[in-house]
Amino acid sequence: MRIRQICGKALSRAAWIVALVLGVIGMLAAGSGPQVQFDTSKAGPRQVEADTQKSLLRDYRLAWASLTQALGNNSSDALQGPFVGDAAQWLRQTVASQRASGITSRYSNQSHKVDAVFYAPEGDLIELHDTAQFELQIMDGGKTISDDNVVRRYVVLMTPGADRWVVRQLQAVPEF
Amino acid sequence: MFALVLVTAAMCEAQKTNVPAMVTAGVDTNFPTTGSGKGTFYLSGPGVALKKEVELGTDVAVNGRDLQNAGAYEAIVCADTCHTSQFYVVAAKAVKLAFLVHPSRVPVAASDAVSGVALPFDKFENMVLTPQEVDFRLTAGSTSLLARSVSAQNGVAWFRTTSGKNAGKLQVVATLHDVVSTRAVQEVASDPCNLRIKGERTPKGIEVETDPVRDCSGNVLPDGTIVTFSLTGSNGKSTIDAPIKQGIARADIPAKGPQTISVASGVVMGNELHIGGQ
Repeated sequence: MRIRQICGKALSRAAWIVALVLGVIGMLAAGSGPQVQFDTSKAGPRQVEADTQKSLLRDYRLAWASLTQALGNNSSDALQGPFVGDAAQWLRQTVASQRASGITSRYSNQSHKVDAVFYAPEGDLIELHDTAQFELQIMDGGKTISDDNVVRRYVVLMTPGADRWVVRQLQAVPEF
Repeated sequence: MFALVLVTAAMCEAQKTNVPAMVTAGVDTNFPTTGSGKGTFYLSGPGVALKKEVELGTDVAVNGRDLQNAGAYEAIVCADTCHTSQFYVVAAKAVKLAFLVHPSRVPVAASDAVSGVALPFDKFENMVLTPQEVDFRLTAGSTSLLARSVSAQNGVAWFRTTSGKNAGKLQVVATLHDVVSTRAVQEVASDPCNLRIKGERTPKGIEVETDPVRDCSGNVLPDGTIVTFSLTGSNGKSTIDAPIKQGIARADIPAKGPQTISVASGVVMGNELHIGGQ
């Protein structure tokens, strides 16, 4: 009986994770996910190779789609993979804190203009400056308590993981 | 109509919070509110989503624990309606350096082969983006290879330099105020210079060995470096790989008849040796 309960919980959790991942992929496939423009022409001292730029664009877009899912649904499952280190930690904290307060945050109509400003000599770290525009709705239960179109500037550190680039630092700043 | 606008404006002004433009990470901060009666205060930002009932017109005290992550925050005060104010938390004083140094092992005298990237962080792991002077020092034994002060741009300071001339440990130090971060790079001999062999016939074949194998700076190549001996004789060609041990590579080659022996290590070729038949 106990084993059946545990299996049931595990299956239900797996189904939830699959649904979230499919949600992120579906959002990207439908073109409703974050729009990202990427410029690596100012990066140095190492030049960003064309394939690396494609991977960065794909993985950064996926990261924002995952962040949107996580903070919109208060589930940190979508954060596993695209985020590591400090970025993963504060995002998980946000999800936990939002869940405890009954708050959700919805990021919609996102567009990101991303400039690579530093690419390490050995290619193991890239710093991006993202000027992001989106509608940010903050909800307490079903009630909208804040709804603004905002422009935010993010300093982003990404590092190569086993099979993708991962966001290690995501820090909003008043100006670059 | 005008009165309606004024009344609406007055209602909108009824409750709000006057946020500071910027707050330093981890600092307890008061958020003064306007209006009167009961209200709800929300704080939404990186790592935090606070909700508390407040008395409008008083200060809302927010603990520094809830303001540790640098980034954009929303302070929202609700009564009948809600009012949102945005502010930023900026990094505190830099107390840590993330320091990436490459490679871990490098041949001597290799141009632009050693690089380091240093990123200052505060005690809450926020990137410190205000300009900071980072001092880089590279020393091999008692020899200083590099001493450079670099101003961090966008939170990053970096260097790239040529490796030293002597095999051994290269100490790489980055310093920011009283924060010191140390890494080590092992410098190893480069490609061999003047690779030479000598040999003699023995009852079982040919014994061949190199002179001590050194690079052009005089460093002995490390043990385990492979030296390839190639034999050409009446029976055709054959090769034997031998590792360097204490600077010398040796091989006992079972070969009869006259042989021409050449030697190579990596891309470097050595001399040729002609040994007559038994």
